[in-house]
Amino acid sequence: MKHVGARHRPIDWDQRSSGKVVYSGDLALPGMLDCAMLRSPHSHARILSIDTSQAAMMPGVKAVACVTDFAPGARYIHEGERDRAPFADQVVRFIGQEVAAVAADTRAQAQAAIRAIKVVYEPIDAPLNVDESLGGPYQSLHERPTHEPNVSRRVLREWGDFAAGLASSALSVGGKFRTQRQAHVCMETLITIAHWREDEKRLHVWTSTQAPYFIVKEVSQLLGLEKEQVVCHEVGVGGGFGAKSKICDVEAIVGLLSRKCGRPVRMRLVREEEFETTKTRHPFHINLKIHADRDGLLQAIEGDIKVDNGAFNHSGASVMGAGIKGLGMMYRPQGLKVAGALVDTAITPGGQYRGYGTTQTSFALESLVDELAEKLKIDPIELRLRNANQPGDVTLVGARLRTAGLAACLRKARDEIGWISEKASRKPGRGVGVAAAVHTSGSFTEPGSNRSDAAIDVYPDGHVRVRFGGADAGTGQRTIMAQIAADILGVAFERVEVLTMESDRTPFDMGSWSSRGTHFAGHAVRVCATETADRLKAIAAGQIGGSDLRLADGCVVNDAGLSMPLGDAARLSNEAVEGVLSVETSYVDPHMEPADKVTGRGNVSASYNFGVHAAIVEVDRRTGAVKVIDYVAVHDVGQPINPTLVEGQTIGGVAMGIGLALGEELIHEQGKMVNPAYINYAMPRAADLPRIRPYTVGDSDPNGPFGAKAIGECSINPPAATIANAVYDAIGVRIKDLPITPDKILDALAEKESRIRRFPIWNRPSRWWIELVRRFYGMGLLKILHTRNTIAVATVDPAPMESVLRPQKLTDAVASLSPDILPLGGGTDLNLQRRMRMIEPRALVAMKTVPELSGITRTPEYIEVGAATTLAKLQRALGADLPVLSEAIATIANPQVREMATVAGNLAQAKRCWFYRSGFNCYKRAGGLAPCYAIEGDHRFYHAAIDGHRCQATTPSDLATVLTALDAEAMIVGKIDDRIVPMSSFYTGPGETVLRNDEIIRAIRISASASQRTGAFSKLRLWEGDFAIVSCAISASIDSSGVWRDVRIVLGGVAPIPWRARASEARLEGRKPSWNYTRGALELELEAHAHPLKRNGWKIEAAIGVVEQAFALTQARSSAPRNLMAAE
Amino acid sequence: MAEFRLRVNGQDAVVDVPPATPLLHALRDELGLRGTKESCGRGECGACTVLVDGAPLLSCVLLVDETVGEIRTIEGIAEENLDLREMFADSGAFQCGFCTPGQITRASALLQEDWPKDDKSIDSFVRLAMSGNICRCTGYSGIIDAIIATARRRGKIPGHNR
Repeated sequence: MKHVGARHRPIDWDQRSSGKVVYSGDLALPGMLDCAMLRSPHSHARILSIDTSQAAMMPGVKAVACVTDFAPGARYIHEGERDRAPFADQVVRFIGQEVAAVAADTRAQAQAAIRAIKVVYEPIDAPLNVDESLGGPYQSLHERPTHEPNVSRRVLREWGDFAAGLASSALSVGGKFRTQRQAHVCMETLITIAHWREDEKRLHVWTSTQAPYFIVKEVSQLLGLEKEQVVCHEVGVGGGFGAKSKICDVEAIVGLLSRKCGRPVRMRLVREEEFETTKTRHPFHINLKIHADRDGLLQAIEGDIKVDNGAFNHSGASVMGAGIKGLGMMYRPQGLKVAGALVDTAITPGGQYRGYGTTQTSFALESLVDELAEKLKIDPIELRLRNANQPGDVTLVGARLRTAGLAACLRKARDEIGWISEKASRKPGRGVGVAAAVHTSGSFTEPGSNRSDAAIDVYPDGHVRVRFGGADAGTGQRTIMAQIAADILGVAFERVEVLTMESDRTPFDMGSWSSRGTHFAGHAVRVCATETADRLKAIAAGQIGGSDLRLADGCVVNDAGLSMPLGDAARLSNEAVEGVLSVETSYVDPHMEPADKVTGRGNVSASYNFGVHAAIVEVDRRTGAVKVIDYVAVHDVGQPINPTLVEGQTIGGVAMGIGLALGEELIHEQGKMVNPAYINYAMPRAADLPRIRPYTVGDSDPNGPFGAKAIGECSINPPAATIANAVYDAIGVRIKDLPITPDKILDALAEKESRIRRFPIWNRPSRWWIELVRRFYGMGLLKILHTRNTIAVATVDPAPMESVLRPQKLTDAVASLSPDILPLGGGTDLNLQRRMRMIEPRALVAMKTVPELSGITRTPEYIEVGAATTLAKLQRALGADLPVLSEAIATIANPQVREMATVAGNLAQAKRCWFYRSGFNCYKRAGGLAPCYAIEGDHRFYHAAIDGHRCQATTPSDLATVLTALDAEAMIVGKIDDRIVPMSSFYTGPGETVLRNDEIIRAIRISASASQRTGAFSKLRLWEGDFAIVSCAISASIDSSGVWRDVRIVLGGVAPIPWRARASEARLEGRKPSWNYTRGALELELEAHAHPLKRNGWKIEAAIGVVEQAFALTQARSSAPRNLMAAE
Repeated sequence: MAEFRLRVNGQDAVVDVPPATPLLHALRDELGLRGTKESCGRGECGACTVLVDGAPLLSCVLLVDETVGEIRTIEGIAEENLDLREMFADSGAFQCGFCTPGQITRASALLQEDWPKDDKSIDSFVRLAMSGNICRCTGYSGIIDAIIATARRRGKIPGHNR
């Protein structure tokens, strides 16, 4: 084999790396319409009426559709009861559910028409989480066969001999684990184009999918068409991860609109819509217990799992089942008994997601295996080795393991991470962890899922085309198909092209999901290429004779060395059409069997792949921050067909798994998603990850194509437990509730060490009223004040603007300002504010073109920074002299933003409260009696713990924190007069400033004396470029003997405005402060001033930690010689 | 609607769009340069990165009205960055490919910047510099490797290719 096993570049690397791959959003069909969706603003409501008549008459509108345009009772086919209609049918069950849609000449016209659709809702109480669904007085979301309120499905799995397992056990460990709602975050938002051709009576569809088969199946049945009438076309697929394993929720709607008007129709989800309305990973509540004997051999597993289904079934029951199956595939206990309940909640439904339930249950299992190891004083890897699955095992769920490389994975991980030396050298705050996982290579979930077909065309010029019905969402399936075909047909890799997704030209395949891509595409192409080769050999034999014919170098060659080009052989075939020989074959896997309907057992996959991950983490006990230092991922994938692609799937899965472990979580409040944006979603950026080191071990699996097993999903299963186990190893606290964010670490540490920090307010009358209102919120005031629906921000494009003025003089710039003509800096926040409907300016005034606003001036007295200076330029100009400023700028957003964003724009950016920004009609948006959603909502990270008042937001600018510490002044110019405002009084509230709407900042001035002080900046955040959870800037004159004067300690992110620890500053003044002394002063001051919300008291603890970091840096710097302005 | 004169990939271009149109939409919809992608439209992910006078900027929040200078998009830089693209292909630096034009464009600017001399800090230098470009598929290792390998090949940093 020349190509199989080689590190071939992806088949279309040139196009993919040069922007030439055509994704559905890159298509522009003649006459194409755009469309917009009307979505439910309610979590749960009856639809009393929908009136689309006015919308239908709006300019540019070509089609309007709602539930009555589908056949009565039309429902998606997903497992179990068909519970979801393409448009809400009489009842809406989550905020964002599709209610109606419009196609129009332009997007703006479609959006305008959406606003003209009149829907009358009658709200119903909505259970918004598992506890409310099971315990509350809420009306059921659906009638379910269980007849239990909001329980969609119950399952009880008993495999093996559970009683015998218990009887053999000597000890057990157990715990309650929770996993969160995770978004797939495909980089391409879902874009679907459909075109009904009346002349053909067929619907053409271009959509980003992992499974054209299911698009055709669902769209045809929903629109009452034959399958042959729906044709999928090949497009680039910008990520899948399970999100596109089945139909999403727009394809049929777009098809319907096109059918109504006969024009091509395009639906583009915006990023916020993608986050809010597409399916997510199902959150699990897992109560798990494992039983073992004294030698650490696992004997029995028992558990109770509640799965948060969201508003509709989709794959909920099967994800729950797969999660339990994952427990029944791992290790060798005698028995398992696990009960599961699938619970309906009025939230965006869960769906397929890489790992598919196993990710969730393996987090619990692998955390407990470590607890067991600790209890037995056995090394965690040794304990797993004792329990490792062996080739030939039949696991509890009935998986027949031909190969099982778990033990080899464990040993390799142990060696590569340096387990033994890491365990031997106990460094404070540093820990090492391990976890293992198993996954199938495809599974027999429904008729046809054990089969895959392929076709091969051999052209007269000798080039080859593979046709395959699945879709490659980036995993490299097309590349390995070309590798296999090239080997078997003896042609150059470059002479193979691959066509996928074209549903009327590619044969049957169910798509890329359940880690089935390599297994099925590999076998299907292997079988087809072999058949093609045989036919070519037979033809050539008649021409060139000889024996031992083989295919090589584009020819059929015989033992005498005579050869015939493939194209010639193809042409001579009596099956050839226009010289092209086409061969189509079918592969039916002989090893897989469907799970037994009653017991759920069965050998559902042909091969099983194992993985073991090990990580080293450092946990900062001061701030709760977790840093992954090293990460090793070892997988038993059989014989890799393309090692580079295997590594890609491994590292990608690890990255997504580390996101799950340490930050990613979709958060809801009152049923509405709070954080539908990259900037509010703590997924890893490049600097958040270490170099992840992938390895493969294990034996070639006879059941796999060329010995290969899967990798796509297994790699996401171990990271959560790996990190949790490493964190436990580092600091002795076990976090069972994902993600492992700093708040949970600090709270757990405080609990473990029985530390309670109190923030008395009895002596602070100014806080009494606020405390009282907060308590009323918890007692139901929020529900009373929550009278207005959230706004669907971003799904409506910003209002058009008259102009962007580009004045050349400062006086002109200022003269043009008015309440609805706003200054424009870099636009990185202002344009976002427009998108989030926070502002609707009539015009903008570009400040970057005004010469007086740019440039940096130094005089003996001060440094003056023009307001329109970009952050990048400021850092380049002053970074070396003012490390405190440079440190802060380096943490702001990312390099591109820093190239654009201006100093004034950064200082004047609006508050980043995610309730306010995401369209909650809060007090700051709606005024009056509107509530603050942060009081009861998730305020752990980005809300005030000091001085919170009516609004709990903070001032987000890191520059503000530093400039306050540097005693900087804002030089303000206005229409009427100019003024100078110190930074310490520049803010009047969270992200609110003294600037009137006819004023702008001209420059920021830092005095020479302040700029010569020593200082440092430190910041706690969830991801690289995030806003401050807590930040600290310190600035002080430190003389050669170490005495501090002019001390400034400023905290960002903890109060509505940059908060000076004035009492602490005073106590440090004129002293040589130790950290202990400083800490004492700070604790006293913070305890006297803080008034945290329910869940952000930890920020005070973290603030002390962040100050400690800045303090240490400042001390270190003070002894270093400084050259700032020495020459001036 | 208003007319804006742009200079894109070495050519003069005129776009007729409403005021305050993001440069990205002008490039994609008016000039047909669809290699540059929109992933968030909010200036948060780097998929829409283009170069303006060599600086990597986010074309989804950069308004066409205030775009001054020579714009270069993936279409304009692909050829001269063939070595970088080959390294991307060899290192597993893309899977779905949607963020790739932005990654390549950002990386091409990074390869023009000053690099640290200290070998140990190179990985973190590149990771920080690339943190404005989200990738969901690769876990970044391939991207970082490809950029560092290209820098070595171009003599930005000493040492051999990996």
